[in-house]
Amino acid sequence: MEFKTPIGVRDLSVWYGTTRVLNHMTIDIPDKKITVILGPSGCGKTTLLKSLNRLIELQDQITVSGQVLVDGENILDPDVEVTHLRKKLGLLLQKPQVLPMSIYDNVAYGPRVHGMKDKKILGELVEKYLRLSQLWPEVKDRLHAPAARLSVGQQQRLCLARTLAIEPEAILGDEATSALDPVSAQQIEQLFLELKNRYTIVLVTHNLRQAKRLADHVIFLYLGDLIEHGPAAEFFSKPKYAKTKAYLEGRFIEDFKIDRELRLKTPERANTIQQVQTVLAQMEIGEILKILLTDEASVQGLIHKLESAGHNVLELRKQGPAQWEMIVQKQNVSYAI
Amino acid sequence: MNDRHWKDLIARRLMLISGSFLLILGLLMIFMMYQRSKPILALTPLKDLLFSLSWHPTKGQFGLAGFIAGTLWVTVIAMIIAVPLSILTAIYLAEYAAKPLRGLLKPFIDLLAGISPVIYGVWGIIAIVPLVRDYFMPFLTNHLKFFPFVSENYTGFSALTAGIVLAIMIFPVLISVMEEVLHAVPFGIRESSLALGATQWQTIKGAVFKKAWPGIIAAIILGLSRAFGETMAVLMVAGCSLGQIPKSIFDAAYPLPALIATTYGEMMSIPLYDAAVLAAAFILLMITILFNMAGWGILLRMERNQI
Amino acid sequence: MDRRRLEERVMKGLMILSTLLVVGSSVCILLTIFLKGVSAIDLNMLIQTPKGGYYLGKEGGILNAILGSLVLGVGATFLAFLVSVPITFYLNLYLRRASRFSYILRFLFDVLYGMPAIVYGAFGFTLMVFWGLKASLLAGMITIAFLIIPIMARATDEVLKMIPFELPEASLAMGTTRWETARGVIFKQALPGILTAVLLAFGRAIGDGAAVLLTAGFTDSNPSSLFKPVATLPLAIFFQLATPFPEVQRRGYAAAFILTVLILMVSLISRILSWKFTQNVVR
Repeated sequence: MEFKTPIGVRDLSVWYGTTRVLNHMTIDIPDKKITVILGPSGCGKTTLLKSLNRLIELQDQITVSGQVLVDGENILDPDVEVTHLRKKLGLLLQKPQVLPMSIYDNVAYGPRVHGMKDKKILGELVEKYLRLSQLWPEVKDRLHAPAARLSVGQQQRLCLARTLAIEPEAILGDEATSALDPVSAQQIEQLFLELKNRYTIVLVTHNLRQAKRLADHVIFLYLGDLIEHGPAAEFFSKPKYAKTKAYLEGRFIEDFKIDRELRLKTPERANTIQQVQTVLAQMEIGEILKILLTDEASVQGLIHKLESAGHNVLELRKQGPAQWEMIVQKQNVSYAI
Repeated sequence: MNDRHWKDLIARRLMLISGSFLLILGLLMIFMMYQRSKPILALTPLKDLLFSLSWHPTKGQFGLAGFIAGTLWVTVIAMIIAVPLSILTAIYLAEYAAKPLRGLLKPFIDLLAGISPVIYGVWGIIAIVPLVRDYFMPFLTNHLKFFPFVSENYTGFSALTAGIVLAIMIFPVLISVMEEVLHAVPFGIRESSLALGATQWQTIKGAVFKKAWPGIIAAIILGLSRAFGETMAVLMVAGCSLGQIPKSIFDAAYPLPALIATTYGEMMSIPLYDAAVLAAAFILLMITILFNMAGWGILLRMERNQI
Repeated sequence: MDRRRLEERVMKGLMILSTLLVVGSSVCILLTIFLKGVSAIDLNMLIQTPKGGYYLGKEGGILNAILGSLVLGVGATFLAFLVSVPITFYLNLYLRRASRFSYILRFLFDVLYGMPAIVYGAFGFTLMVFWGLKASLLAGMITIAFLIIPIMARATDEVLKMIPFELPEASLAMGTTRWETARGVIFKQALPGILTAVLLAFGRAIGDGAAVLLTAGFTDSNPSSLFKPVATLPLAIFFQLATPFPEVQRRGYAAAFILTVLILMVSLISRILSWKFTQNVVR
């Protein structure tokens, strides 16, 4: 992938008690684009998002392993100053949660918390970001009224202004429009589209249409696994893997019925291909083979060979730091792969 | 109507009667005590009753000011000690303590609420009186030779002693209400504040507290009301000497509830004595009703706004 | 940035200190009572009533107070039960949750809950004078019953509020009347919780000194009649500690120990019951 990546995760796994919610996630977030994390409910999208600014730690019994890289630094390191990190990544939650204070104080809260005391500068910041969130005209005459009196749509825009006021590098949104009426939701979507020139934006949504409207890049999660990711245009028009296709077409996503399993240990490419060839030859058309690989280099090569031979690569999943799982369906009776 | 419906109806009526019983009880309390204390107002105008310092029942003088002052001394000392400690402890329990620790400490603190006031008095005599007499008083009077520390009372039975014991007695009330109120603040507020990069303490100070402060005030009012009305423990350690108005934390104090408790025996023997004492009880009643209404009123409104 | 971290550390330290102080002082109280009391106890104390000159250091025990407190406590708890439980059942089963009357009633509970014991005592005293009763077991029982009604009602209310609405709903849907639902379904479910409330109130009843002082009087004999004064542990402690004789004071500590143990036992049992209740509540 050729793009700058300010945020990335490496082999990130998250457990909630004994249940694994994210499975060895390795992905990069492109700079100054809207990346949408897509998938059915309960598949780890919010967990992934909240791992980026370590807000996931607020929940009980959370265990995290792997790395989360922000500007090249692994922020899961215990020495990392979490408050600094969170200043770089602003988060917009699903339910607009305004702080129990005036509109002005809500926006000024972030800068104040980080030490800004100058009243003049604060006033300027408040106005600047309220304007940016398209809220200024509606509130400029009542800046010191309680924020709770705003409508839900206005509150969410206020939360956006509040988030922008800490001048982050990236904006994270967790189903930021799900609780809003259609008009307000549209306003927020519009704002995201305008903001992406200045900020990297990562949005979680289960709304497929919204994803199509907004995404430059898509990450598709299912039950804690990274199924597929890529530029939006390709993702929506030519999805690669079976589960992605099922999701996009609105079908139920079913697990594969594995007929054979092959564990490949040797890193030699030629040998790998030969082993796969041998096993495939013994199988019927339509049967499904699960291949376990430990070498990254062979993975791409193998996919290429299999696809050009006409077989269906249904899925590629990373299961560990050096462990891949490939699901292939035999389609062609051919010995030359 | 068939048999089952009759039973239902009767049961319903009986329950309603119990409910009204409570209402009647409350009103009766106010009414009867007012009636019995009215005679004193014929003799002593209200102004004198409340503000006169001379308490000589045999001579017909019934000034409660000394006792009111005693109550204030003891209560204020108790609040000064209890409120900061309770706020800190409540914040710790609600925001910082791990779940198991919280689960252990909360019931423990509630347990304390059930211990008899007389027991607190006993402990006060055993532990606090000597502490005040042998350590606090000599130390403070030597180094701080000014109001409110200078005193002639070396017995250790003083307003300070009563204040300390009272403070520990009202910890459960203060801490449990404050902790509940803090816990009720929606998680989203903490989450939003932390997401902006605030520390936990900044979040509590700047956001959680802003939402919870009416409840904190309510807790303080309820604690105050409790401290005001406590009788036995205070009776045992405050000194209760007639004719002395406390001018120092080390002076003896004679709070209003203690007055009522000690004079009940002689009440009927001197004319108007009982009316005066019941007037004191009536004052106490009205003050506590007011405080309780204020405190619970705040908590109720907070609960409703939450919806 | 370092300032923020420092502030956080300092405040957290203060909080822990404060919690330790609160918990520590409570533990100190219990320890003191135990240590002072255990050494002073002997069998005679438990099975004898005070003989002549008891308060001057002579023979005797506190049986009168132990029995008196128990009888008074049980009587008052029973009377309070007759009033509190119907009210709370009415509140939870018959009235809709947000009805005005339920708010008024609950508010009333809360206000009465906070009334000082001495005021209940004074009120009891005025009633006594009004009815021509002398200081007696009956007067004490009635006054203490008034005192603990708000406590029992509140605790029972908390318990009943925890039962999800689906339960009576399911029962009513089958055509039972509300009374039958109350008796058969809710009562059974709530029984451990109600027992908790009753025990809580009982603990408060035996621990009170201010209200019994004015209404139940005091005596050296065991409880014999509803119309005679009765001894109670809190007052026994109070009087014994007021004497200048060390032996009598020691007995006061022993009595304090017994009272504390009683109350702690009651609290513990009620806690266990309450835990059992929350385990079994239909979710």
